[in-house]
Amino acid sequence: MAFYYRTSLRGHIYQSINPEILRAKWTFPFYISEFRNAETGLLFLGLNSKFFLQIFRENKNMDGNLEISLDKLPIKRLDSIEENGVERYPSDSSYDEKRVSLIRRIDFAWAVEDDEERERKKRQKKSSKDASATWQWQSMVENLQLAHQELSVIIDLINTVEANDAVTVAGMTRPKPLPNEVLSDLAVSAATKLQCYRQLGKYFKQSAKALEEQIAREARFYGALIRLQQNWKVKRQRLAAAASSSEGFIIDLFDNSLYDSAAMCRPSSLSTIRVDHDSAGMLAINLPPNSCRSLHFGFLGVHSADIPKELGKIRTRGSVEQHTREHEKESMSDDEYIKETHTLLREVHQSIFDDQVFEMLNREAFNQSIGVNVTGIRENYLQLSIGQGNTLFISLVPSSKGDDQDAANTQDSESAIVPLDSFDNVKFEEGKHGTPKRKWGFPNRTSCEIYLQQIVHEHAFVKAKDKPNLSGTRVSGQSGKDGPGLLGHFCLSLAHRIFSNRVLVELENVVCRVPYLHLMTHPTWHSQASSWTIFLKVPQSILHAESQSLKSDFQNMKDAVKSQFRTKVVVNDDRINVEGEGAPNVVSLFKRSSENISSVNKYECDLADLPVIILLQAASQVICWLHEEALMVGIKTNRDFLCLTFELEQGDTVSLVAHVNPEDIKGGIAWWLVMEDGSTDDWKLQMDMYDGASEYRKFLGHLTLDVLYSTLMDLVSLCGGGRNH
Amino acid sequence: MDSPTQNTSLQRLQNVEKRIIRVLELAGGVMDELANPTGPRKEFINNHCREFMKMIKDIQVTLRDEIKSACEYRPFEKCDYSSRISNEICCKKLEYVLSQLDAMKQTIDEYQATI
Repeated sequence: MAFYYRTSLRGHIYQSINPEILRAKWTFPFYISEFRNAETGLLFLGLNSKFFLQIFRENKNMDGNLEISLDKLPIKRLDSIEENGVERYPSDSSYDEKRVSLIRRIDFAWAVEDDEERERKKRQKKSSKDASATWQWQSMVENLQLAHQELSVIIDLINTVEANDAVTVAGMTRPKPLPNEVLSDLAVSAATKLQCYRQLGKYFKQSAKALEEQIAREARFYGALIRLQQNWKVKRQRLAAAASSSEGFIIDLFDNSLYDSAAMCRPSSLSTIRVDHDSAGMLAINLPPNSCRSLHFGFLGVHSADIPKELGKIRTRGSVEQHTREHEKESMSDDEYIKETHTLLREVHQSIFDDQVFEMLNREAFNQSIGVNVTGIRENYLQLSIGQGNTLFISLVPSSKGDDQDAANTQDSESAIVPLDSFDNVKFEEGKHGTPKRKWGFPNRTSCEIYLQQIVHEHAFVKAKDKPNLSGTRVSGQSGKDGPGLLGHFCLSLAHRIFSNRVLVELENVVCRVPYLHLMTHPTWHSQASSWTIFLKVPQSILHAESQSLKSDFQNMKDAVKSQFRTKVVVNDDRINVEGEGAPNVVSLFKRSSENISSVNKYECDLADLPVIILLQAASQVICWLHEEALMVGIKTNRDFLCLTFELEQGDTVSLVAHVNPEDIKGGIAWWLVMEDGSTDDWKLQMDMYDGASEYRKFLGHLTLDVLYSTLMDLVSLCGGGRNH
Repeated sequence: MDSPTQNTSLQRLQNVEKRIIRVLELAGGVMDELANPTGPRKEFINNHCREFMKMIKDIQVTLRDEIKSACEYRPFEKCDYSSRISNEICCKKLEYVLSQLDAMKQTIDEYQATI
């Protein structure tokens, strides 16, 4: 056991020695408690045993004599005996009391005396040494040291008391405060309060600043979110907010106002987009790259060289944003950033729509509707045949950066699966038509894409009352037995478009070679019908000459020759109908009247026969016109289908014969002048070219209408003059 | 969209937030003044406290108005996503037509150049 003890007299510290050491040294097998004076080296040893309390004194300064003093044993001695023999013992003192009494019995008088002597000596020495040069802080230092010693003793005692519950402190009285202590306590408490106020002030200001920053950040975030909310549906999931650090906002891009909800009800994984915070607390939308897909349409075997600008513009934006966002964030203002986010959301929205379109087309393709002929299928790829050897494909491609990647995808998908028959047909087409015709044949793939998207959108998304009222393009959405579905309608329209392009090519070829034929296209507002009109116009110069000669007689205006002949060409799906005026009418042949009963021929034809038919029609219209002109000047002529015959004297005939050749490069209609003597009346002579005996042919070539008219007038004069001249 | 006037309720709520910050700053200022070793200046503290109370009152009034006038949350009555898709399709049509017109113009220019 070791403890410190302070006497109230002096304040010396008595340090204890570990009894084990002492025991070992002195080999006392008893419980020992001892004290040692740190200064003087006195050793006080208390032997608490049946033997005597022995106190050893060890003094270094003295001459080494050991003085021993003894005390009596702490055994119970009889206190008193009463008359009846009962012995009275002093009451047992508790362990504490025993210790305390032991402590008290330690006599430090001799140490005190020694100390007093030594101090006196020291003071004398000091004062004798330097009375003048006393350090002014010396007393304060000594007082502080004394106070320090006292405090440490007290602390140790208290610790011991705490640790050792056998001894408890009964109570302590607060020392009476000195007068200056009251004030200093007050000062200390006041200073502490001021310090607290200062800290509080600092805390308030700090929190104001932090709140300001947070408000600024949140204002930015919520401002952006509100602007996004004007265009998109923003929803909040509170549970997700509790789980993650963000507030749980999502942008919902799924359109639940579908017309036909049974058709598409699966929201894609893209349709809910999480709104995140970026490093600066601003709104950020993170999308995995290449998650947006777009619809791609094309014809097999046709590589469209014209990749539209939009492809490069829009498609690169989605993925480019991911990379450059970190770099350009500081340079972009919030407005621009919000615009870019809008664009990104637009892309995703379109991608979702394209997914839905593709899914719907797939569903239609396998419903076996009219006009749909699936020839190939892959993941995100659908290939259809639309007749006449044309094949188209519809695919979903990811919106990737760069057009070369896109072209690679296209080529990859085109070359991968091509059924044998359609491929042969495609090659055959290439061999048959030249390159210019090839380009003409197919409509622009972009326009087909747009058309496809539009019809799907109108069918599925727009409610019936909101649909635009276009009679020609009403599409029956149900793929029933009677009508084609969406995809069927689309394929039929495309097939028609390709075919009508070919028809147009043929018509143009014919018309551009004959100078007096004019082609006009009529829009039909129907996706499966096309219509053209070929006008044969008499030049104005001839008409003016006529009107001058007729002295602009109103009566004769009715009898005026027709100056315009029409031939109508109508294509329905892949059937060509030709209607033409000016064919010889049997009735009018017998009437000499100037009634212009022009009958109309109607017939169907093939594409291959179309040029011939048109030229024949034109030629017969010219003949008709010439006939009318001749009648106007009073000459009797006979009109046949392609031949105008004048009668000369003596039964000779002169004929103007038209010859039609669509392959003729210089012009489609050539004219012959055939002169026959009256001996033969055989129409078959027209076929016989080398019978020179009874007829004479002269090739006039390709004549304009002016020249024809003058030729006619010459023939008229040859016939003996007109009556009206 | 961001109008400088204070008519939108969003603007008013942002002003409330700014007032709260100002209130905190005032409190901090008052505390600092109280911690002044030479003693607080009465006028300073009076002014600050007056402003503090006024701001608290403003905040309370504004918040009460806003809470009363906040309307019910009507989720997405009219969704414009389908018309948005129509617009996108129309945009594509427009771009296509523009490209066709550009091609026509180019053809005309080439033709006139060769004349």
